[in-house]
Formats: sequence, structure tokens, C-alpha cells
Amino acid sequence: MKFDLTIALADRPGQLVKALEPIAKNGGNIISIIHEREKVSDGFVPVSLVVDFPSKWNLRKTIEDLKRLKVAIIKSEEIIDTMRITTILIGKVDIKRLAETGIRNVEIIGFEVSAPASKDSCLKLELEIPTEHVEEALDDLRRIAEAENALLLSPL
Amino acid sequence: MKAIIVGFGFIGRELVRTLHDKLDKIRSLDREFKVVGVSDSKGYLYNDDGLDLKKLSNVKRLSDYSTEYREGRSTEELIEISDADLMVEATPTNIKDGEPGLTFIREALNKEIHVVTSNKGPLVVAFKELTRLAEKKGCHLLYEGTVAGAVPIFSLVRECLQGDKINRILGILNGTTNYILSRMYFEGTSFELALKEAQERGITERDPSYDIDGIDAACKVVILANALMNRDVKFEDVKRTGIRRITQEAISLAKKSNFAIKLVGIIDRRIEVAPKLVPINHPLCVHGTLNAVHIETDLAREITLVGYGAGRETVSAVLNDMLTVLREKAQNRD
Repeated sequence: MKFDLTIALADRPGQLVKALEPIAKNGGNIISIIHEREKVSDGFVPVSLVVDFPSKWNLRKTIEDLKRLKVAIIKSEEIIDTMRITTILIGKVDIKRLAETGIRNVEIIGFEVSAPASKDSCLKLELEIPTEHVEEALDDLRRIAEAENALLLSPL
Repeated sequence: MKAIIVGFGFIGRELVRTLHDKLDKIRSLDREFKVVGVSDSKGYLYNDDGLDLKKLSNVKRLSDYSTEYREGRSTEELIEISDADLMVEATPTNIKDGEPGLTFIREALNKEIHVVTSNKGPLVVAFKELTRLAEKKGCHLLYEGTVAGAVPIFSLVRECLQGDKINRILGILNGTTNYILSRMYFEGTSFELALKEAQERGITERDPSYDIDGIDAACKVVILANALMNRDVKFEDVKRTGIRRITQEAISLAKKSNFAIKLVGIIDRRIEVAPKLVPINHPLCVHGTLNAVHIETDLAREITLVGYGAGRETVSAVLNDMLTVLREKAQNRD
């Protein structure tokens, strides 16, 4: 599980090494570190880390250890990996009803309806889906398409 | 080596012409190579000294070759009397019961005759049975021409990916539907007009539903799944959606998001033929009558082959299969 962890470090040599120790001890794998030097305030530098922990428990233990070392925590939140997926539905699909029905874990971030020169209309949906839920979201969409007698075009 | 050719339609005739053109190359592997028999649905030609390939190249019907044509006699009889080492089976595809090709292949293998076929029907109906029979009889059963024509997918895997495990196969396996979808994509043509164009160019099957409802592509999916992923897939197991409902509006919407709509065969946890959104920079995104097969393996990762899937090009695959048998026989002789 990836977390965005932002801490405030005193702008003195050796502070970062001290703060990284509890992360390593609690099984965290550091993916990136950014010193936000342009945001120095009262002698403290915000440092943004992306850390992969085995579970939320490991993050909690890390935060406890950091607090014990007098390291201030500015932010700690889970980063949810999402995928943007384009799908097209061919048939008479009511976008309003689709939005109301809702597809589990899916955010509709854009749509386009094509004026039907032929009998079937087309609805393109741009979706944002947490990576781990992509398959089930597409299964939901497939079910909706079948119920509406529409053809779902999904990406490869 | 003595060969017989069963079926004298487009592929049979083109093969005879090619064998004549390439006879020197073939004879460099086997000086004794000759075609001793050719059959069609009404009879057969047989000459143990070898038929005249040049003369045979110039006839449209076998009965025009000479009075040697035995009208009313069966292919089974030709297989029985010819004492052939190799049979090329090129009868029309029938996916309902695989006949008549299925019976011919069974009979040839039972007589320990190597078989090369370009006919999907028997393999769709009885893949496991035929491959087991070939193995039991110590014969080759080669079928490169059945999927994506000249694209050497089976040879590639057999020769070059022996240690790899194939996890997924994606393919554009029907040139006619790819032609129709490409015309719609590039020219803004309607589906109906693009289909009519394809029919006028003679690239559709007599019954266009065989192409546009994904039946042909589904047959190829069955063969790929069974041959390359060791599955036991039947035609009914393939979830199939054709391209009849693809509209010009859908193509335009896809295009705006950098996708093309293609009829894709997929073998992974799904076994499916359906129109899909293919990113325009994906190696599978080929146009016109081209076919493409994309495989994902544990070691080599991704490999894509692109080529022509039907017509004269298929003879390349049939000839290569014949040469594979000839080469092995020549090695065993040495």
C-alpha cells in the first residue's frame, strides 16, 4: 500500500537520516523523496515521501516512532492507484440513468454522446477506476450494457 | 517422397502452381519428390510416376487434365491406393462437423501419412483427437495455413519459443472485418458500404456472416488456444460478438481518443472474439486486410507478427509445412 507521508524536518544536517530510520524499521520501502526547500518556514523544511508499506499498521507504527523523535507529521494518506479507461457503448443508453445506477468504484470523468445518424446512438465514457477494481467495474458495465441491449467496447 | 493433394479449389490450384515454380528448391531436399495424386469432390487423378505439375497448373478443373481423371471415385480411395508419404488437405472449411476434411485426415494419419492442412474445420471440431492420432502414428500434422494465413505463428512457437509459456494471445485474425473497419476508420464509410466494397473485391466469404459475426475469427481462436496454450477449447466456448453494430459514430468517437475499433480474438482467462478499442500505437493496430497475432510469454514477454491472412499468401504457409516434413525425412534418411 502506497502512502503520501509529508514530514517537517529541522533544516540541519543529519535530520533526514534520523527520520528515515523508523520507516525502514517498520518495513517501508521509499519510492520517492522531495525536499520542498521553497517552503522552508521557521527553520523547518517539509519533506514529501511516497512510501510503500505492507499495511496501514506499519504506517501507524512509523508515525508513532517519528513523533517520539519529535518529527512533525504534516500529512499521511493512502495513495490509491487509478486507471483512466475509455469505453464506448453503442445502443440506446440513458447517461442520466447510468450515472444514477452508478458503477462500483468508478468515477465518470467525461462523456461524449454522438448524434445518431444511424439508429443506435453512441456514448463514450472516460472513467477513473482504482487499479484493483478495473475488472469488476468493467464486469458491471458489461452487465449494464447487456440489460440495455447495448454493445460495450472496452479497451484491450 | 510421394505427395497427394486433396481439394482443387483456390488453395489447391495455387499450391500446384507454386510447387511447379519451386520444384528445384523442393528437389534439393528430396530428389524423389513428386505429386502422385490430386482429388476434388467429384473424383481424382492418380499417376504413380508423378503428375505433370506444369500441365496441372494450367487447368481449372481436374477433369481437364487428361483422361486419367477417375470421375465418381472417392478421395478415400486415392488415400488407400496412392501409398503416399504426405497428404495436403485443402478442402473447404466446414465448422459444423469438419467434413469431408476430418475423414480424410483421419484416414491419412491411420495409414501413417503425414498431413499438412489449410482447412480449419477438422481442427476446430477435433483438435485433440487429431493431434493425439498423429502422435500415436508418429506423423506430422501441420496446419500453419489455418490461422492468419502466411503469418508463421505455429512455426515460430514450435521452433523459437520452446521454453516459453504463453500467457496471453491477442489477434486480428480476419482480414475481411479488418478491411471493413479500416475503410470506416480512414474513409468515414458506413458499415454497409464498406461491406459491399469488400464483397465487390471478392474478399468476403460467400456467407458474409462467417466474417462479420466473428465465426471465422472464433475458429482461429479455438486452434490457437488448443495448439499454443494446451487448452481444450471448443467453438461453443468462444464468447463471440461481431461487428454488425459498429457505427461510423462509434469509430469517430474512438478515433478522437486515439483508438481504432478492431475485431480482436483474445485468449487469457477469457476466450473471446469481440470488437475492442485498440490504441493506435499498439502493435496489433494494423489496417486493411492485414492480420496480426500478439503473444505474451513468461520469458520473451511480447512478440507481434503481422502479415496477410488469406488468399495466395496462405500457400507460403502450406509450402513451408511441406518443406518441414521433407526436411525431417531427409535428415532421418541421412
